[in-house]
Amino acid sequence: MKEGLLKTENLSKSFSNGGTLQHVLKNIDLELYRGDFTVIMGASGAGKSTLLYALSGMDTPTLGTITFGNEVLSGRSSDGLAVFRRRHCGFVFQQIYLIDGMSVMDNVLAAGLLVNRNKKALLKRARELFFKVDIPEETWGKFPAQLSGGEAQRVGIVRALINSPEILFADEPTGALNSKTGLDVLDTLTAFHEQGQSVVMVTHDMRSARRGNRILYLKDGTVLGECNLGPYVHGSEERHRKLRSFLAEMGW
Amino acid sequence: MAEPILGRRGTVKKRLLFISLLLLFAVEAAAFGAVFFQRQEVPQDTVAVNEVLQSAQTGWRYGTVGGSDVDGSEMNAGNGRNAAHGLDYVVLDLEGAVLYRSGPGFNESINEAIRHRDTILDVKVDGRIVGKLIVYNDSADAFREDKKRTLLFLAGSTLGLCLVCSGYFFWLERTVLRPFQKLKRFAEYVAGGNLDIPLEMDRNNLFGAFTESFDLMRSELKRARLAKAKADAEKKELIAKLSHDIKTPVASIKAAAEVGGALVEKNRFSDEMCWKGRERLQENYKQIVQKADQIDALITNLFTATLEELSRLSVTPKDMENRELSVILENADYMRCARISDIPECLLYADRLRLQQVFDNLFANAYKYALGTPKDRASSGAERQHLKEGVHLGIEVTAEREFDFLTVIVEDFGGGVGEEELPLLKEKFKRGKNAENRSGAGLGLYISDYFMKEMGGELAVENGRLGLKVSVKIPLSGRCVHETADMFMK
Amino acid sequence: MQKSIRIACANFRRAKGQTVAIILLVLLGAMMLNLWLMLSTDYKQNFERCHDRLNGEHVTLALNGDGEELRDFLSGVLEEDERTAQYCMDDGFFMVGSFAYHGGEVNTEFMILDKETALGRPVGAIELVEEGEEESGVYLPMLYSSDGRISVGETIEITIGNQTKSYLVCGFLNSAMAGSHNCSMSALVFTKDQYEELKKQDSLLPSTLVSVRIHDKTESQEFEADFKEAVSARYPEIQTQSNSYKLVSSSRYISQMICSGIMSAMAFLTTLIALVVIASNVVHYIQENMKNLGALKAVGYESRQIIGALLFQFSSIALVAALIGIGLSYGLFPAINVMMISQTGIPYDVRFLPLPFFLTLFCSVGTVSLTVGIAAWRIRKIEPITALREGIRTHSFRKNHAPLDKTGLPLHLALSLKTTFSGVKQNVTMCITMLVLSLIITFSGLMVENVIVDMDPFINMVVGEMADSCINIKTEAEEEFLQRMRADGRVEKIYLYHTENAVHVGGIGLMATMTEDFADVNNQAVCIEGRYPKYDNEIVIAVKYARERNLHIGDEIVMAAGGKEMKYLICGYTQISNNLGRDCMFTRSGYERMGSIQNASYYINLAEDVDIEAFQEEVGEWMGERMNTAVNIQEVIKGTGSVYVSLMRVIVVAILILSGAIVLFVLYLLVRGMLSRKKREYGILKALGFTTGQLILQTALSFMPAVTLSMIVGLVLSIQVINPLTALFLRGIGIVKCTFQVPVGFTAAAGAALCLFAFLIASLLSLKIRKITPKELLTGE
Repeated sequence: MKEGLLKTENLSKSFSNGGTLQHVLKNIDLELYRGDFTVIMGASGAGKSTLLYALSGMDTPTLGTITFGNEVLSGRSSDGLAVFRRRHCGFVFQQIYLIDGMSVMDNVLAAGLLVNRNKKALLKRARELFFKVDIPEETWGKFPAQLSGGEAQRVGIVRALINSPEILFADEPTGALNSKTGLDVLDTLTAFHEQGQSVVMVTHDMRSARRGNRILYLKDGTVLGECNLGPYVHGSEERHRKLRSFLAEMGW
Repeated sequence: MAEPILGRRGTVKKRLLFISLLLLFAVEAAAFGAVFFQRQEVPQDTVAVNEVLQSAQTGWRYGTVGGSDVDGSEMNAGNGRNAAHGLDYVVLDLEGAVLYRSGPGFNESINEAIRHRDTILDVKVDGRIVGKLIVYNDSADAFREDKKRTLLFLAGSTLGLCLVCSGYFFWLERTVLRPFQKLKRFAEYVAGGNLDIPLEMDRNNLFGAFTESFDLMRSELKRARLAKAKADAEKKELIAKLSHDIKTPVASIKAAAEVGGALVEKNRFSDEMCWKGRERLQENYKQIVQKADQIDALITNLFTATLEELSRLSVTPKDMENRELSVILENADYMRCARISDIPECLLYADRLRLQQVFDNLFANAYKYALGTPKDRASSGAERQHLKEGVHLGIEVTAEREFDFLTVIVEDFGGGVGEEELPLLKEKFKRGKNAENRSGAGLGLYISDYFMKEMGGELAVENGRLGLKVSVKIPLSGRCVHETADMFMK
Repeated sequence: MQKSIRIACANFRRAKGQTVAIILLVLLGAMMLNLWLMLSTDYKQNFERCHDRLNGEHVTLALNGDGEELRDFLSGVLEEDERTAQYCMDDGFFMVGSFAYHGGEVNTEFMILDKETALGRPVGAIELVEEGEEESGVYLPMLYSSDGRISVGETIEITIGNQTKSYLVCGFLNSAMAGSHNCSMSALVFTKDQYEELKKQDSLLPSTLVSVRIHDKTESQEFEADFKEAVSARYPEIQTQSNSYKLVSSSRYISQMICSGIMSAMAFLTTLIALVVIASNVVHYIQENMKNLGALKAVGYESRQIIGALLFQFSSIALVAALIGIGLSYGLFPAINVMMISQTGIPYDVRFLPLPFFLTLFCSVGTVSLTVGIAAWRIRKIEPITALREGIRTHSFRKNHAPLDKTGLPLHLALSLKTTFSGVKQNVTMCITMLVLSLIITFSGLMVENVIVDMDPFINMVVGEMADSCINIKTEAEEEFLQRMRADGRVEKIYLYHTENAVHVGGIGLMATMTEDFADVNNQAVCIEGRYPKYDNEIVIAVKYARERNLHIGDEIVMAAGGKEMKYLICGYTQISNNLGRDCMFTRSGYERMGSIQNASYYINLAEDVDIEAFQEEVGEWMGERMNTAVNIQEVIKGTGSVYVSLMRVIVVAILILSGAIVLFVLYLLVRGMLSRKKREYGILKALGFTTGQLILQTALSFMPAVTLSMIVGLVLSIQVINPLTALFLRGIGIVKCTFQVPVGFTAAAGAALCLFAFLIASLLSLKIRKITPKELLTGE
């Protein structure tokens, strides 16, 4: 039995758009499990990212509840959510969102020092992570603008993982990258998942989706279907076929 | 892309360089100026000379000048302030003998002093010249000192100038020439048709801004079209709603006329009103009732006509929040006779207008059958009192989530209908037995059922504990997407 | 044009708060500019008008003597002189006297006149500005009525010579040349009966008042010197007192000059800050709206139109603000006027002045337009394509300041340091503001310490020598007097400090102060350059006069007194200003080379707790006729000084409020700019789990290095330059060098308080960070 991590009940999210309400998420009941690589797929506008941000406490749901362990997240103040995010979540964004004015190392440490006061331990973890994602030491002092897209995204992953979060949220991490560097980033994520990191990733790209073991298909703000790729070996034809048939069924 | 950044930084640098160059030139010019113009003449400090002279005269008067101690400072002992003036001088008597010298190496004869342009003053006591005071001219030493300083300074600033210039050229090479070469290569690539190779530091799409502009235009167009469609739909809605709304007042008019007729009938024997007048009044009421029936029939016909092509009565479900349902229920229960339970937080998928109509119908039925007709109620003052106080009179509304639906149960306490009638209630023009005396076309539940089906929900009628129990199953948003799709396909 | 207006209106709506802040700054600037212009242009004119109305004299001379012979001699001298235009002579009394005023005592030379004579003078007439019912009494100069300090019908004790008597105050008079103690003589007008009463007093010598109008009023001082010299050459024993148009016209405007000086400085500073703010605003606007501007250009707007819109926007703001500011200045002027009248003693009616009005408008709108024009010039350089593509220019990458892996600083401090280093423009604005404010703080600290809390330093500088008592005796009694005084245990120190007239041959008349040995005097700072005279051929002259006449230390000048001319070597400069820079100093023997002195003033320092008045009375009794006057110097200073104290108090309070307001405005604009610039960064940081409070702290802290550093640097610099700068302010009254003690503790505390204030304000203003959400960032700006 998998250990539950995040649970939503009747999760709905609406945006007011020029006076009319737009309902992006509709009554989503979902449970995420520890150790899963959950991929949220769907066409653009299906509410993938909104779901991700509601799950990660980046945004508050309009209706419904989100529970993390025993904590109820919905209804928390923005500062309360910020504390939740820094303790339990890591984020990888499509636009990467490194802070321009800080070096690579500082970008990582700014997130790390927020939770962990022990600088030595933190630096050690940062170094380990950098080596794992293959960012050489001479890059640490560079500025985000001096990095290639792939490098920047791997730095983004390091930043996301610096606090050893329970869940890593990734919002189209390869969206702004070319295919080669995108692959690197995916490999990195897969590697971390294999070491037990829970990952939730949003994507509309099948290549990326293949890396997940649990695929959720979102359409019009609702989970249309789910597919478990767990039993199939990574990179195998079966896995690919299974995913493709699932997506075809979903009307991809 | 890279040019503006570089250009701006370039200007800043250039300006910086320009300023520092200007500064250095100014400094050098000032130094030259100082050498050429300032050192024309060093004026003698007349106050100090006066002090020396005065003290010499005072000394003379008291006899402390002269004698054996020529080099000593005895003369100064008198006032002790002489040291402050910093002058070197020699005092001679009229014969040219040195009476006092402030130090060795100064001119000690008038002739030498004149040659050296020293200041020569008469020492007078009581108006009589008694000696000479020669104040040493030190301007040559000062000039030499000055020259040395200026030279050093000039050398320093020239060195600074060289440093700045070389620094600038180095910087120019690094920031302008090299990037230009890079740029040239880039241009060659582009000219050669190779557009894959990015220019470093160039992170944005070359045509990003243009696509953005076009996209802007597209979204504007889309918005305009949507607005028009919405307006059309609203117009249709209005007509539909109006025709539905007209029925209610017409029913009221008819009811009022009926009551009037009944009253006239009741007062038939007791009244002093003449028989003919009564006759006329009754006739009028009858006519009103007739015409109301006619209007009702017409509207019903209009309705029926539309019902034949019911698909035209559009039901466009949309997402709506649970609190909107609360509003709908409150609107429907205009008599405030219902107890409405809390509605669980969820997002519904329904047509707000149609749902309102459904509940309007349900509540109207409940009012009609469970609470009695307006005529009945008019006679029952006590009940009316209840109404005013807002006490619920037997309509129970509960809502709960059931899988993919929110089920709203409206239950009255009007006794319900016979089991055998239940399946027929939802059909067109069918009414319960107890409806014999009530107005109505027997369409309410039919339409409601239709609406609910259109929304992907359901309307179920059954007998509850004490009355009729209608369950309205409203689909939850996002749960029945394919079901509705399937339905349409079939 | 229409297009420009449309853009401008959009800009207005977009930035309401900012518009308000700019309006306030410009408004303040315009208000002070207008006040300054009104004070400096029309206020002085007012004296001219008053002078003309009363057909005022250009030279006044009061002589202790009368009789046909003297009069004949005087008219002979005057008629011989080609410069004389008109003159008149009247009988009166001329005597040192005093009365209580403003908590102290006024002590000056009174020119006592009979009412009828005074009002009927063809030259230098006296007018009554307020008159009561009383029939017998005295009319005082109106200076003493302002602020209601003395009112009609009151009884006032006036000491004339050594007689003290009570008089009813019948009213107040206005005299152009003898209207206040600042004019070196003050008119007192008595009703007929009281005047007759005075005549009987033995100690009062009948005197003659000569008022002369000359053709060219710029020669007034030279004329005065020549005239006086002519008189003293013929009658060396007669005591004279004189003043000239030039002296009076400047002396009556000392405080107006100080006030307008401060106004001008404040106007300049506020306008400067307003301009800096506007410029940074425009630059910021351009950066923010790079894309929009590019789009506007792409649709066909010309640079000219866009710049025109900005120009229109700001200059219309400036116009409105300036108009309101000018309106406000007229609202404020009466209050200042009251303060000023108590200093000048000349009535002034507030009225609309077109010249300052237009000048202020022109300056405000002109400078704003110029600034906007220059700041907006770069719009011309925006290429539509580049602008559209690039949007806001990204950060320039040079150095990673305060690296987190190396620094020992706490996280938030380090992050705010990074922000500090990234915003050069904001730092520069903050630095300029804080530098300006540090100067203001230092100045107010200086004023608090040296004028308000303890006004001795100020008085020392302005008045020069101070002691407890000044006793003027006849020289024949000198030795006996000194012997007795030196034996008296209450006397700590006694020294000659006497002032006589002397004339700089070829120049003007100077007041010659002499003492036996300048090592004895209390205030050694009076001589600001060179040294005190030590030998009898040395002289120290007022620095203001020296500069006017191009005289230098080491030059030899010819002085004349008592009909004898002598050469003296200038050995130093002085700047005491009770004669408005017409002073010179000799040793006693030096002066006596020219002429002897009949009377001698001795300054006396008394032991503490000695009642000065009683002491003087005792000496008076003992000396009898041989003593002329005794002046309680402490009292006099209390009287005149308190006016300055209240003036300074108002100025200091105004300055402090103003600096607080400026900090507020500047920070408002900077924080606003920063928030919009760093919105993305704040969004990212919030996504990473930073709370609003932490970000606010970071933002507020990021301003602090610039604030505190420039404050410290500013304070250190200001402490260096404040004395010369104050001297610049006070130049008008002959002060060239100030040696005020700077209250380091107070200044540092005030600076720290301002920094703290800035921090609080920055925190408050950055509360807006609350509204930035990480979601905004993600849903794409």
